[in-house]
Amino acid sequence: MRLSDWQAEVQRYLLNGDATPHPVLQASLLGSAALTAEQGLAIYHNAYRARLLETLRGDYPAVHGWLGDEEFDALALAYLNAHPSQHYSLRWLGAQLADFIEGYLVPAQAAPLSELARLEWAFTLAFDALDADALSMAQMAALAAEDWPTLQVRLLPSVQWLTCRHNSLALWRACKEQSEFPGSQPLPEAQTCLVWRDQLVTRYRSLAADEATALQGMAVQGWNFAELCAELSGLGEQAPVQAVTWLRQWLSDGLLQRQSAGR
Amino acid sequence: MSTGQDSLGFGLGLRSEYYQEILEQRPAVDWFEIVSENYLVDGGKALYFLDAIGERYPLVMHGVSLSIGGPHELDRDYLRRLKHLAARVQPAWISDHLCWSRGNAHQLHDLLPLPYTEESLQHVAARVRQVQDVIERPLVLENVSSYLRCADDQFSEWQFLSALSELSGCELLLDVNNVYVSARNHGFDAWEFISSLPQQRIRQLHLAGHSDYGSYLIDTHDQPVSDPVWQLYQRTLQHLGPVSTLLERDDHFPALDELLTELNKARSVAAAALNGAPLCA
Repeated sequence: MRLSDWQAEVQRYLLNGDATPHPVLQASLLGSAALTAEQGLAIYHNAYRARLLETLRGDYPAVHGWLGDEEFDALALAYLNAHPSQHYSLRWLGAQLADFIEGYLVPAQAAPLSELARLEWAFTLAFDALDADALSMAQMAALAAEDWPTLQVRLLPSVQWLTCRHNSLALWRACKEQSEFPGSQPLPEAQTCLVWRDQLVTRYRSLAADEATALQGMAVQGWNFAELCAELSGLGEQAPVQAVTWLRQWLSDGLLQRQSAGR
Repeated sequence: MSTGQDSLGFGLGLRSEYYQEILEQRPAVDWFEIVSENYLVDGGKALYFLDAIGERYPLVMHGVSLSIGGPHELDRDYLRRLKHLAARVQPAWISDHLCWSRGNAHQLHDLLPLPYTEESLQHVAARVRQVQDVIERPLVLENVSSYLRCADDQFSEWQFLSALSELSGCELLLDVNNVYVSARNHGFDAWEFISSLPQQRIRQLHLAGHSDYGSYLIDTHDQPVSDPVWQLYQRTLQHLGPVSTLLERDDHFPALDELLTELNKARSVAAAALNGAPLCA
């Protein structure tokens, strides 16, 4: 048999849930007194699934904790069937799990579970995102007064922006702290949650709607500081105070970098 | 070409579980081997510790997804990233496995053995040359533990490795445990394997543990090195002279001290071997 044909047979065997080898593959192998060809094949068949399931369990501990071993593995195997690995690194194996959940489960179940999966994936993205120097309080303090109105910032590469409609953060925290699972609940109103890496530490925080709008405006839409204050004009004289308070918070969180001139 | 003077001594696999301790305690490890893929990321903790540990210890890069025997085109993006990482790490050498880990359609994430045929030999040798053109140094290839043997084989595994090295100029990473595991599983003579390889091509040795399933063995890398593998290692060094030796552990990570004790055992076994002491019991 040609090498590529044999490799295609092995690949088909590994990807197939049924561990019974095709007779052509079986006939291409020799067993020994210690290890039959069937046993040898089964070792690879088991290892393939075990390795991928272990990776997904590692990337999605809260989804795993919520579903338990059996249901999680059923979900993961269905996912792997639909999305066999395309990337050389197992780091990216679970990249589409949240999207997959949305099509796999009925909407009422899919919405909270996919949201939790998205949150967990965001942690992995923040963990190894590009390094960048966060704008510091000291740098801001050194900023000349005339430069404040035109100050522009953007989010650090590690910042992941999520909108939560369920108590996914509480579920995630319960898993992390190994405390009692609180049960999934919809939130009274949608909440912005940020996940990012501050130096080497991955952090998260939920934001009230007005703060989220302000951060979105400034760090994503490109408002400068004067525009932020103008957006807050409803607060009257308090507008610059509020703007500075938030900016101070974002800087101490380590969320921002300075946007160079121009939009 | 590897000689005693080139030996880096006795190394450990660099795993995130030990990052902090390595920096704080500066353990008596001569060098570390990294799994290249763990550092093919944009930023964060892994690269931070890689840089910090790389300032203090020699490093070697060991990959798991080159898929040198695969049916697909070589992954140019992977090779580009590997070369970029090598520029950062300045490794003493770059290794991967004689195997395939990707099919024509999907990644299989395992170190799958090849049929040892003339067709495989030509296929792999041509790809080794392509990789070496990119990384601009000899590729070092490791023998894998295997659980399959092809009816069409025209070479033994050691004949294949020797011929591949001759044809492509690649060097060899001899995993003594893998030889032992495959020898038990397929019923060949482990010493015939080792003693038949071209000595001057052996750049590095691996030591690791396996799990015994009665009649066969599985290379789990989650156990201490077994006694028969220590004996084979001693005999290997008597035959080869000093060669850089790495102790691998990929799961069930013990305290670092435990690994250091095992690494010291490797030093003792090597010293005995090089002094012509009788084989360890």
